[in-house]
Amino acid sequence: MALTSAWVAQAQVSFTAEVPTLWALDQPFRVEFSVDSEPERDSFRAPTFEGFEVLAGPTVSTGHSIQFINGKQSSSYNCTYTFVLLPTASGTFTIGAATIKVDGKSYTSQPQPIEIVDEKRDNAGGQSQSNSGQSSKGSAASPESRIAKDDILLRLKVSNTDVYKGESIRASLVLYTRVNIDNIESLEMPSFDGFWSQELSFDNTPSREQIDGRIYEAYKITELLLSPQESGRIVIPEATMKVLAQVVVQDNRHFDPIFGGRQVYHVSRELRTAPIVVNVKEFPAGAPASFNGAVGSFSLSSRMPAAEIDSNSADQIEITISGSGNLKFLTAPKVSLPDSFELYDTKIVDNVKATATGTSGSITYTYPFVARSGGEFHIEPIQFSYFNPATGEYHTLTTEAATITVKDDGTGASTPTVGNYTGYGGTMRQLDRDIRFIHTGKLPHKAASMLILSPVYWLIIVAIAALFIVVYAAMRKRIRDNRNIVARRMKRADKVAVQRLRMAQRSMEEGNRHAFYEEMLRAMWGYISDKFNIPVSNLTKETIREELYRRGVAAATAEQFCEIITRSEEAQYAPSTDGDMSEVYAYAAEVISKIEEVVKR
Amino acid sequence: MKSIYKIIGIIVVAVALVLPTTLRAADAKTTAEAEWKRGIAAYSGGDYAAAVEAFEHIVALGEASADVYYNLGDAYFKLGQQRTTSSGRAFAEGELGRAILNYHRALVLNPAMEDARYNLDLARDLTNDTTAVPRSFAANIWLALRNMTTTNGWTITSIVALALCLTLTLLYLLSERIAVRKVGFFLAVLLGILFILATVLAISGRSAIESDRRAVVICNDSTPVHASPDSASKVIRRPSQGVTITRLRDHDSWCEVLFADGEKGWIRGSYIEMI
Repeated sequence: MALTSAWVAQAQVSFTAEVPTLWALDQPFRVEFSVDSEPERDSFRAPTFEGFEVLAGPTVSTGHSIQFINGKQSSSYNCTYTFVLLPTASGTFTIGAATIKVDGKSYTSQPQPIEIVDEKRDNAGGQSQSNSGQSSKGSAASPESRIAKDDILLRLKVSNTDVYKGESIRASLVLYTRVNIDNIESLEMPSFDGFWSQELSFDNTPSREQIDGRIYEAYKITELLLSPQESGRIVIPEATMKVLAQVVVQDNRHFDPIFGGRQVYHVSRELRTAPIVVNVKEFPAGAPASFNGAVGSFSLSSRMPAAEIDSNSADQIEITISGSGNLKFLTAPKVSLPDSFELYDTKIVDNVKATATGTSGSITYTYPFVARSGGEFHIEPIQFSYFNPATGEYHTLTTEAATITVKDDGTGASTPTVGNYTGYGGTMRQLDRDIRFIHTGKLPHKAASMLILSPVYWLIIVAIAALFIVVYAAMRKRIRDNRNIVARRMKRADKVAVQRLRMAQRSMEEGNRHAFYEEMLRAMWGYISDKFNIPVSNLTKETIREELYRRGVAAATAEQFCEIITRSEEAQYAPSTDGDMSEVYAYAAEVISKIEEVVKR
Repeated sequence: MKSIYKIIGIIVVAVALVLPTTLRAADAKTTAEAEWKRGIAAYSGGDYAAAVEAFEHIVALGEASADVYYNLGDAYFKLGQQRTTSSGRAFAEGELGRAILNYHRALVLNPAMEDARYNLDLARDLTNDTTAVPRSFAANIWLALRNMTTTNGWTITSIVALALCLTLTLLYLLSERIAVRKVGFFLAVLLGILFILATVLAISGRSAIESDRRAVVICNDSTPVHASPDSASKVIRRPSQGVTITRLRDHDSWCEVLFADGEKGWIRGSYIEMI
């Protein structure tokens, strides 16, 4: 395919006109028509050069060359018709179309515009006039003065000085000259603070341009793409350049018959550009929520995952943003997936080129994810917003919403199939943070004033203390009274026992056995109860033995005491002799007096 | 026994003295209850401006509590966030400063409110507040202990501890059984210690609140803090809204403030609000 097109190109005849775009009045110039195939004899028809005087032409020159490269033969033919024209008036003219016939076919060249400028105001002139205009004292003047101040100019051209943040502008540094430039000695570019800058490739063929009615050769030094990163007035400081210009002087004094007495001088010149102010505008209000600083003109395409996937399998969402603008500064659009989807790091592939109108190309964002649990999930449309500086409006692009059915593979979420993921057993991620919800329910009581050290506080403290004192006083009195009763009872224990024994004695004398033993038992139990302040209901023979032992009464005495009780209980209902009663009575009196002796001490 | 009736009589008289003011407040209370419901409904519905208005009204009625201040802080915070999305600038009207102010007020009334502390920390992350000079370990423990409940909580604890302590002292003094007396003695000593501790904590809490000179920057933009009370003097700092400072003294319309890291400066009094 490429081969045939090359062949076709070779077979086609090209007939072109070469005309300068800008020329000075009263200066002759050349116009060339060239054809790359052998034309038919006398078939060339020149245009009428209106507004110009034909000084010479047409001069025909033909050339033919044959080349062998790697055994491959190629030949080229060239035929040129040259005219020398002199402009007679200033203004814009058109060099008309010329025609020529090749192999019976007629070809026409493209008409070319040309601007003729009247430079009469300028008497210093270019280098070519230097030895005619001021020739009388030309040799005396220093070489420096032969180059006028505005013969060499350095300009920084900016395509637009009123832009939005992020919008691209083109800056080119151009050297304009009317003299020969021998060398560029140094070049200091300005610092583009506040801009993101990128160098552009450019066509470096010199062009002729007119500035203030004078014609200059324009050399583009460098071309940059600038993108402001902050709003406000940004100043691009001056660029400086040092050039070495060539001056040829006709020296009459040292006329050399061979070299014509021409002297070549080098003049060093320092050039400066003017600082440029760029007004960077902030984005207008009303930016969409998904706007993230994208400026330019973009389109959005997406590739959604398959409509049905297995759980724990990986898939991805692909979003491609293409267009021109500040593509390099785009941030990945936010993708929100259902919670059971695990989103991994976004992969970014860019294919961006810097061109004169800004960076253009495309960026592809890939969002890989793994669906963990089964079900039908709705994926929200992904939004991408940009600001179009040409229209001054925001645009929002949206992908289509998608629904994904995740088939549960039956293994559950705990047995993943992708990566080193450890199932749901791992730590839970904190997805985001926000303030906690307000407190609801009933209106709480208004904040109470501080109680501490307040009168109410003192009142309560005093009340508690008073209550304590009162209760203590009351209770202590009762306790004291109680203690007195016990003490009295204990003191009286002996007497009571004696009284009881006497009553028993009376019963014995009356011969009432039953009453005697009853009084005896009452005397015995009552004595212990009063003496040791133990309720009668709590008394058994065991406790009596224990209590007596604790009070230091001999074990034998305690045993005797218990024996009296036992005998009295047995004898109360059993028939017995009278002697028994008196014996028991005497025995009891003896035991009690023994106990009294020990306990009183 | 008659003296007990006397004490009860004194308490009844005290309650009777407090009762009329309670009745007068009942009217404001009804309005506050309606505003409380309105505020919660507005907040839940996303109308944060109305929620702010309702909760502020409760404060103006004098029915404020820790929960009201907490909800007000939340409403301001959400309002600021809501305005961010439409105008592109966060908390343009000083909402963050007011949110932090109200969280502080909630914590003054109830130092144990964990939600307020959480939200305050979260809101503070959005300011350029300086980090405080770290407190000593003992001071931290003391503060943590004091912040376990409100000042009134400690006061009631101290009163209850005193009452129980004296009851157990009675048991110790009057009981005849050795075991009861032993237990009574030790518990009475423990409760006595608790009484002293709770009283000291309550007094310390009260004095901390009364001597609280903290203020919050509520101005919406980075506010200049000057080296002296003169707008021509050097700007030494630019605290954002929500930065908490201590107000030291006033001079004309200026306040001398102390930052958490020990730096001092002068700020316009209208830019700050006392906690």
